[in-house]
Amino acid sequence: MNTKQTISGAGLAIGLGLIAIASVIGFETMQMQVPPSYARVGPQIFPYIIAIGMAITGAHIAWKSYRGEDEVAEIEDTGPTDWKAVAIIMAGLIAHMNLLKPLGFVPAGLILFWSVAFAFGSRRYGRDVIVGLLLVLFAYVGFTYGLGLQLPQGLLKGLL
Amino acid sequence: MESFLALMDGFATAITPINLMWSLIGVTLGTLIGILPGIGPALTIALLLPVTRNLDPTGAFIMFAGLYYGAMYGSSTTSILLNTPGESGSIMTAVEGNLMARQGRGAAALSTAAIGSFVAGTLGTLALTFLAPVFVKLALLFGPAEYFALMVLAFTTVSALLGASISRGVASLLLGLAFGLVGTDILTGQPRLVFGYPSLLRGIDIVVVAVGLFAVGEALFMASQTHLRTAEILLIKGSLFMTREEWRRSWKPWLRGTALGFPFGALPAGGTEIPTFLSYFLEKKLTKHPEEFGRGAIEGVAGPEAANNAAVAGVLVPLLALGLPTSATAAILLAAFEQYNLQPGPLLFSGSSTLVWGLIASLYIGNVMLLVLNLPLVGLWVRLLSIPQPLLYGGILIFSTLGVYSLNNSIFDLVLLFIVGIIGFLMRRHEFPVAPCIIGLILGPLAEAQFRRALSISQGDPSVFVTHPLSAVLLALAAAVIVVPIILRRAKYV
Repeated sequence: MNTKQTISGAGLAIGLGLIAIASVIGFETMQMQVPPSYARVGPQIFPYIIAIGMAITGAHIAWKSYRGEDEVAEIEDTGPTDWKAVAIIMAGLIAHMNLLKPLGFVPAGLILFWSVAFAFGSRRYGRDVIVGLLLVLFAYVGFTYGLGLQLPQGLLKGLL
Repeated sequence: MESFLALMDGFATAITPINLMWSLIGVTLGTLIGILPGIGPALTIALLLPVTRNLDPTGAFIMFAGLYYGAMYGSSTTSILLNTPGESGSIMTAVEGNLMARQGRGAAALSTAAIGSFVAGTLGTLALTFLAPVFVKLALLFGPAEYFALMVLAFTTVSALLGASISRGVASLLLGLAFGLVGTDILTGQPRLVFGYPSLLRGIDIVVVAVGLFAVGEALFMASQTHLRTAEILLIKGSLFMTREEWRRSWKPWLRGTALGFPFGALPAGGTEIPTFLSYFLEKKLTKHPEEFGRGAIEGVAGPEAANNAAVAGVLVPLLALGLPTSATAAILLAAFEQYNLQPGPLLFSGSSTLVWGLIASLYIGNVMLLVLNLPLVGLWVRLLSIPQPLLYGGILIFSTLGVYSLNNSIFDLVLLFIVGIIGFLMRRHEFPVAPCIIGLILGPLAEAQFRRALSISQGDPSVFVTHPLSAVLLALAAAVIVVPIILRRAKYV
C-alpha cells in the first residue's frame, strides 16, 4: 500500500468534484414539484439517497487525499502524461461534432481519424489519410446501404 | 430431464442456417475484438445495439453471446504474443503466457489457452443448462422487496471487489446511478435532472455511457501514456500440438479454472477478472514445478484461461434467470433485452423459450467454432496484432461516434459522448473501475422501480425490506461486503 504523506491534488479535486455533483443533484431534486399523492414514495427519494451517498464518498476521497493517505499510487509514478495528445483528440472530437452536419459524415470522420492517429504519434500523413478515407467510406456505404441508417451526406450529396 | 428436452428444442433453433450464421458472425467478431487491444465485448455489443434494433432477437442474442465467448478466446492470443491483455479477463494469462512465448513455447501456450477455453466453455455451458432453470424457480420466490435487496447486493459487491479501493468503486457506482436518474421518471412522468434540455428527457442512453467510458476514455488515456504505445509482437514458435507432458500438466488446471470461474461469474462480482486471479494463484500453489512460475509455466496459462471462459457461462445464469447483470458486458446485454422489450427472468423462460434455449444451444456450437477459429487459424489472427496503434484507435473512434450518432441521429448525443469520455479518462487515470458505473446505470432505474413498488405494496412502510427474511439476508450480505473489509483493514492497523 502506498501511503505517501503528501497531499494528492488530483484526489482532492475529484473528491470535491463529487461533492459538487452531489449538490447539483440535491438542489435540482429539491426544485421538483411533486403532487402530494406521490410525495411519500415519490421520484425524489432515490436522487436524495444518491446525492447523500455521493457527497459522503466525495468527502471521504477528498479527506484521504488531503491527509496523503490515498490508497492508490499516483499515476505520475508510471510515466509522464502527454497532455498534448489528449488535447488533440479532444479537438478532433469537437471538430467532428461541429462539422458532421455541415460537411457530412465522410469529411468529418476523416478529420477525427486523422487527429486521433496524429495524437497517437503517427507522422505518416499520406498513409493515415488513405486508410482513414477507405475506412470512413466503407462505414458510410455499409451503414447507409447495408443497414439503412441516415448519415449526413454534406459535401458528398449526390455523389454517393 | 426437463432441461435436456428444452435443450434439444434449443438445438433445433440454433442449427438453422440463419442462426448458425449469426453464431459464426458473433464468434468471429468476438475473436477479432478479443485480439485487438482497446476494444472489448461490452463496447462492441453497445455499438451493435443501434444497428440490431430491427433484427430477430434470437439471432441477435446468439450473435452477442458468441461474441462474449469469442472475446475470451481471442484475448489470450494478445496476452501471450504481445504481453498486453486483450481483455481484463486475460491479465494473468499475459504473465506466464508471454514468458512461454519468449522461450519459444508460444504455440503450446496458445494451444493450452484455446483447448482450456473450449473445455471450460463447454462445461460452463453445461452447468448453465442445468442451473438456469433452478435459478428461475428461485426467482419465482422473489417479490419487489427481494429484487431490490438483490440489486443492492450486486451494487455493493461490484463496488467493493473491483478497482483500487472501495470508495472508488462506490463513487463509480453512484455516478452510474446518477446517470440513470436523468430523464423522465417512469412512474410519475416527471422530468428529473434534465436541466432544461429536452434532449435529456429520454434519458442518457447506456450506449453513450459505455462507448464514452470504454472507447473515448480509453483512447484519451492510451494517448496520454506514451510509454504504453510500443509493444513487441512475438512470433509463434513451437508446435501447436501439445506434448503428452503438456497435456498432463494442463488438464487439472483447466478443470480447477472451470470450477473457480463458473461460480464467480454467477456471483455479482464483476465477471471474469477475479476468478482468473484466484486461478493463477491456486495453480502457483499446487504446481509440481514451482521453479517455472515466473519463467513461463503452462499451468499459469491453462488455469486462468479456463476460468475466464467458465466465468462467462456463469455470468449468463443470473442474467437470464434473474435479470441481474454481474459484469459490464452483462449490463449491456440487459440493455439489449430492454431494447427488444424482453424481460429476463421466469417470464423469459416461459414466454421466449425458443430464444433462451436457442441461445444456450448456440453456445455449445459456438465453442466448437471457436476452437477451430483459434487453434488452426491462429496464424491468420496474429496478423491483426500488427495494426499500428494510431490507425486502430482512429478506427475505434470512427465507429464509436458513428454508433452513438445513429442512436437518435442527434449531435447532442455526441456532446454527451464527449463529456462522458472525459469522465472516463479521469476514471481510468485515477484508477476508478468502470464496470460499477455501467451496472449502476442499467440497474439503477430497475432497482428504483422495485423499491417504489415494494413501498407502495406496503403502503409506505419501509420495514418490508427487513421483515421479509430473504430480503433481510440479502441486505445484510450487501452491508457486510462493504463493512467487513473496512473493519479488517482497521484491525490490521491497530
